[in-house]
Amino acid sequence: MRTVQRLGAIALTALVMGAVLALPAAAQTGTQTVETRPESFIATAAARGLDLNLFGNHVTIGQSSALINSTPTAKASGAGIALIAGTVSTSEVNAPEQSAAPPKACAINLPVAGLLTVELACGESKVSTTNGAPSAYGAGAVAGVDLLGANLLDPIVDLLRSLLNALLPVVDQTVGTVLNTLTPVLGNLLGGLTGSLGLGSGSTVAPVSGLVNDLLDGVQRATQLLDVKVGDSTAQTVTTAGAVTATATAAGAQIDLLPGLTLGGSPLLSIIVGSAKSVSTFDRATAVSTPTFDAAVARVRLGLPLLGGSVTEIPIQLNAPLTLLAGTPLETTISLGAGRTVKDPNTGSVASYADGVSIQLLKGLNGGIGLELAHAETGVGGQARLVAQQALAPAEPVPQLAKTGNDPWLPLAGAGLLMAALGIRRRITAAQPVRTSERVSQ
Amino acid sequence: MLVDLLRSKRWLRRTLSGVSVLLLLGGLGLVGYPFATNMWTDRIQARLEDQIASPELQQAYKERKIETGDSLTRIKIPALGLDTVVVEGVTPSALRAGAGHYPQTPLPCEQGNVAIAGHRTTYGRPFGNVDQLKPGDTIELTTPIGGCVYQVAKAPWVVAPSELSVIDPTSERSLTLTTCHPKGSAAQRLIIRATWVKDLKAA
Repeated sequence: MRTVQRLGAIALTALVMGAVLALPAAAQTGTQTVETRPESFIATAAARGLDLNLFGNHVTIGQSSALINSTPTAKASGAGIALIAGTVSTSEVNAPEQSAAPPKACAINLPVAGLLTVELACGESKVSTTNGAPSAYGAGAVAGVDLLGANLLDPIVDLLRSLLNALLPVVDQTVGTVLNTLTPVLGNLLGGLTGSLGLGSGSTVAPVSGLVNDLLDGVQRATQLLDVKVGDSTAQTVTTAGAVTATATAAGAQIDLLPGLTLGGSPLLSIIVGSAKSVSTFDRATAVSTPTFDAAVARVRLGLPLLGGSVTEIPIQLNAPLTLLAGTPLETTISLGAGRTVKDPNTGSVASYADGVSIQLLKGLNGGIGLELAHAETGVGGQARLVAQQALAPAEPVPQLAKTGNDPWLPLAGAGLLMAALGIRRRITAAQPVRTSERVSQ
Repeated sequence: MLVDLLRSKRWLRRTLSGVSVLLLLGGLGLVGYPFATNMWTDRIQARLEDQIASPELQQAYKERKIETGDSLTRIKIPALGLDTVVVEGVTPSALRAGAGHYPQTPLPCEQGNVAIAGHRTTYGRPFGNVDQLKPGDTIELTTPIGGCVYQVAKAPWVVAPSELSVIDPTSERSLTLTTCHPKGSAAQRLIIRATWVKDLKAA
């Protein structure tokens, strides 16, 4: 117990001495952090579900964008269908501690350019600059996009009917003869399909007049030229303590050409596109920007009742456009876009693009139908905040009456030091080894 | 246990022995600090006594060119047995003489509020007992060219250190003494206000 007391006394003494020595030093060495350059950044995101070029008419479906910067500004827009006011939502704030979130802008059963009917189209936007963290969000969504049937479908049905009627005189010949007849019309499509079915040019099969008639019936059943299902498009830019992130996503889509063509309801052609995503991130501590992307994937599903009614899937390779029905008025080309990133070596800003799928349908019909599906892009850039340590300017002394007294703890500290010194001396004395002369006398 | 450790470790005994010597010196320094300041002030006062009687200082006073730290006036408070030389200025260095004159206030015995600060527990502690002054007690100032007598007007009172208004100019001739309060601390200030009674003839 006494040992503990003494150790405590020594510790207390050391503490007092440390305080005596440290107080004047602390008073003279104050520094402060000074900002020499403020942080600046900008982040943008944009996504597009479907960009449709319909016989010369341009329509964008499911469009969103978001932008933030450090001033601070936050802007966002979301459109079910671009340029149609009832489906567009926009919002913007340009000062700290503000926010805006207007109600969704939606329209139902919306005719577009006399060519489309959209069952539901909505745009949404939200922005905020609260808590020093700008953020913006935009989204565009549609449900049920139908191309109006009558005007567009009739010439195509007429074309198909004339083609099929031309085939009827030769329907009792061999498959090879049929294929030879069809090849100039249907192009590469038949080669792939007959190959997968094990049929060669010398094969002999039953008369195909029934199949041709089935196809004719199917064309008559088709009530739409095109059925489009497009997922949501979202663009978001957010600021957190460590990073500024721009994210754009275009959800997948499915395009059905001539839906209802077969007895089972399958379309002539289905093009299924996965989602595309782009992300760019600005690290606020290091000012390093990083772009990433996740490009869309796509596949084509063919349903041709005249060749057994089976469905064939054809994957689309990157940078290898797939052309169907080449040389015919129904020629269709599908291209799978790649993703890419771009970096500016001077500013360090980056951009990321996730391209989707480009489809050119029915090229032979008045310029055809062009579709750009699932496109997402983002970009960020900026400079980190620079700070420096500066010596504190000596504080202006508060005017006071003359100081003619002292710190009252000085004598107490002195007494404490003396007691500690005496205590240590006692222990040292008690611990001294017994001298030889003393041992002899004992 | 500590003793056993010390017994077996010679280096530890020597180290602690050195530490104890340092502690002893530090403690003696802190405890003896007030006594040391008093001795220091006694030496300064001896020099100031000579200076205040010198013709050079008399001439400088007439020209109002007294330097900080030089003798300015003698203050006597019979009720406390106080008799010391006041220097010009209230800087820490000047106040090692014991008492100093606020330079922004009039010279002693002149029109307005003359203010003097003095130590209470160190540096000769000239104002050590000013809290015992009562209304009517006299305070005598003797300058190189004359002198005057003031009379304590009211009981001493305590103010914050920032209460500079106590040395603001006054319309009448007055004297204000300031010192730290409570004794041994600089947390507050004790104020004594006296009013002019009469002038003294020059020696």
